[in-house]
Amino acid sequence: MSASTGADVSFTFNGDNYEGAPGQSIAAALMASGVRELRATRFHKEPRLIFCGIGICFDCVVVVNGVANQRACLVEISQGDQIVSSK
Amino acid sequence: MIAIIGAGPAGLAAAMTAAENNEQVVVIDSAPRPGGQYWRHLTKVEGYKSARSHKYFTALQENEKIIYISGAQIWSAVQVDDRITLNYLAAGIESAITVQKVILATGAHDRAIPFTGWERPGVMTPGAAQALLKGHNVIAGQKILITGTGPFLLPVAVGLAAAGADVAGIFEAHSPLRWLRSPLALLLNPQKSIELIYYIRQINKYKLRVRFNRAVIAFDGKSASIAKVDTELRIKKTVSKIDCDVIAAGWGFTPDVTLGGILGCKQVVDRDGTVIFAVDGEQRSSVANIWIAGEATGIGGADLALIEGRIAALSALGLAIPARLRFARYRSQKFATALQVSYPVGNGWQGWLRQESKVCRCEEVSLGEICASVSELSANDARTSKLFTRAGMGMCQGRICSRNVSEIIASQTQCEVTEQERIGYSNRPIAAPISLGALSDGIK
Amino acid sequence: MKNPDAIVIGAGILGACSALSLTNAGFKVLIIDRGTVASGTTGAGEGNILVSDKDPGPELTLALRSRDLWFEMQEDVGDSFELEAKGGVVVARSDDSQLMALAQSQAAHGVITEKVDSKRLHELEPYLHPELSSGVFYPQDAQCQPMLAAARIIQSVIARGGELVTRSKVLGFTIAGDSIRSVKTSTGEYAAPIVINAAGTWAGEIASLAGSHLPVAPRRGFILVTEPAPQYIFHKVYDSDYVVNVASSDADLQTSTVVEGTRSGTILIGASRERVGFDSTMNYEIVRKLAAQATSLFPILRDVQLLRVYRGFRPYAPDHLPLIGEDYRVKGLWHSAGHEGAGIGLAPGSAALITDTILGRQSFMDPAAFSPKRFAEVLR
Repeated sequence: MSASTGADVSFTFNGDNYEGAPGQSIAAALMASGVRELRATRFHKEPRLIFCGIGICFDCVVVVNGVANQRACLVEISQGDQIVSSK
Repeated sequence: MIAIIGAGPAGLAAAMTAAENNEQVVVIDSAPRPGGQYWRHLTKVEGYKSARSHKYFTALQENEKIIYISGAQIWSAVQVDDRITLNYLAAGIESAITVQKVILATGAHDRAIPFTGWERPGVMTPGAAQALLKGHNVIAGQKILITGTGPFLLPVAVGLAAAGADVAGIFEAHSPLRWLRSPLALLLNPQKSIELIYYIRQINKYKLRVRFNRAVIAFDGKSASIAKVDTELRIKKTVSKIDCDVIAAGWGFTPDVTLGGILGCKQVVDRDGTVIFAVDGEQRSSVANIWIAGEATGIGGADLALIEGRIAALSALGLAIPARLRFARYRSQKFATALQVSYPVGNGWQGWLRQESKVCRCEEVSLGEICASVSELSANDARTSKLFTRAGMGMCQGRICSRNVSEIIASQTQCEVTEQERIGYSNRPIAAPISLGALSDGIK
Repeated sequence: MKNPDAIVIGAGILGACSALSLTNAGFKVLIIDRGTVASGTTGAGEGNILVSDKDPGPELTLALRSRDLWFEMQEDVGDSFELEAKGGVVVARSDDSQLMALAQSQAAHGVITEKVDSKRLHELEPYLHPELSSGVFYPQDAQCQPMLAAARIIQSVIARGGELVTRSKVLGFTIAGDSIRSVKTSTGEYAAPIVINAAGTWAGEIASLAGSHLPVAPRRGFILVTEPAPQYIFHKVYDSDYVVNVASSDADLQTSTVVEGTRSGTILIGASRERVGFDSTMNYEIVRKLAAQATSLFPILRDVQLLRVYRGFRPYAPDHLPLIGEDYRVKGLWHSAGHEGAGIGLAPGSAALITDTILGRQSFMDPAAFSPKRFAEVLR
């Protein structure tokens, strides 16, 4: 479902390998690869994807290279990023 | 030097106007690329007059009078005497800039209202679908349904369809006939009719299905429930279920008033219930040396934001405001008012919810819990209910749910949400999260 | 409500506990509040139920009894306000002699204290800075969710025949001779022979409306709230400067670290104390100072983000002791206010002292030290 070309940034999400285009956000790159769950919620462990898409709602937060609660809709992918779902 | 906060239409117009008048400006924006929510092109995309952003983007990059700081989130601001210090974070590092004058052009985000299942993956704001497409070249899903109210739904739908998305329909809660209530606004803004015709042609071109007086009232993860709604958004009858994996739901906009609030700029409640800044005819806020332009002075769209940005910059430079600019603003403001009259968001959505429906996404608080805080714990205002239930206390700091929680509490206690409460929930002393390490390292 | 036996002004924790205590003693109680439940200082606090920060003396006696009463109240009202005996860890920053001397004297007065060495300290709090090597563990220190506590306790009062009227502002009193007869409010006039003034930082204004005087003033405090984080902090952890600052009479800013986790995953960081009246202006330098002190205790918090800041006003009396007892001018008007940062912890004991005195029965301690009469001479 991606319209992007030139996928040449490699990163991992929950241990699996993914690729995205330079300048893409983590959320965009993962959604382009068909990911439908960025994290599970703290209390009811329900899946969440993006909501506001512009950094307001913090619904898409993930752990990026060990730093928690990073907004996947804002943070751009970098080569070698290790991204895991917030729990 | 003037600091301009925000690189959307208002901020860019202010920057270019100031630079053209030989003033040094610094533009600070939270996004990695300029354009704000309205102009976020990674590549050329379909859209009415989308090309007019290019001159601003070029100026930002090439005009030596403009310093552009991207990816910078201002977390606090302090005015001491005639100097304003803005503390911001960029890539986790804290920096500060001190200036004499500030133009706030902080924009707005989509207003969301809850429905059963709105927390499920695939439900997002039209702004999110737009940002994915324009900013990142990604179509949000396989089959996209668009709902809510307001003309912004049209460019989102058309943009998605033009990019090859399967748009399952546009379900607009109001009737276009409501525009007949605002004949003056239409007469004053003939270019808006041309814009509408452009979108009608696009809708026909992509064979998009548009239904009025309809809204998505629930999502089970596979299909959306569509209901016929009245002008207050109360359900008249449930009409159908449509399979989809993405619902883009947008109910107008919420201005970002955080930074101006921290700086003490006077706020008022607009006719649509949003909290905005009070500004004078030259876009001056109540605080000396702070001007405000764009959505934060009232939702009005990009045309109005561009005009307000220019006026703010001219005023900040002590230059006269040309009468034609004032008239252009007047015309656009009339149109903005007509938008509010044509696309109101009534409280009927509360009837869409079940007791278990989530209202606060961050803290996963349900309607039932909020109601229980009133019936069992004697909360009779939203602040108290929020302290009991944690609604609005999560990562977003109530940016998404605060207004909705207040409206629910008001209904439960048969009160109106007061102006004081609306301004209260819109204000936050910490404008963006900052690590304790960065805070510690910033001690003077 | 027709003819209540007692009226409680203030639906914060002190009012709630007084109302419950009186209700359980057979009184028909009306609670009024100018706002709503827990809308004042109770709603801006951390829910401290501490014995560790009190010097031996009447306040410690009150704190120890109150702490037990909290757990008795939980039996009475139901397990519904997140009461937890999480324990307190006081860390000595450098020289630990003052802390150890305090712990020793507290132990002689019934506080359970455990002096801990470096190994035990880091067992209790594995994320503490490795160079911190000495402290005292206070297993009795506890915590509750204060807003929920006030609400649940008031809920019980209502279930037992009491009543709550919110958005009711006290406008004045009817006093016949030297005895209170009724409270005039924005929602009507309520008659009762007993009125409890539990109005927190506004208790002084209430006393003035009754023609008396109560020296209660606000002391501003900031509390930082972080994003939800993994459990890094297991007890209420503070540095030994806290004890010094709590007792300080200095009007200037004092900060000392208090760090704790909450059930929702956020971390609370206090505590600053300043006497600046009701000024609620944000002060980012205080925020930085609190952050720096917390990260010096727990370096792992450097990567945790600050989400918001609470501002609250602790009501205090000039000698830092609470004001508990009958007014020195107006008979039937009782005060329970001025507990400074310890109102949650001291609330049930304060309520019991008042109820016992009203009923003329022996209480767990002599309430004389807290009597508002102690300021009568000064103020006349």
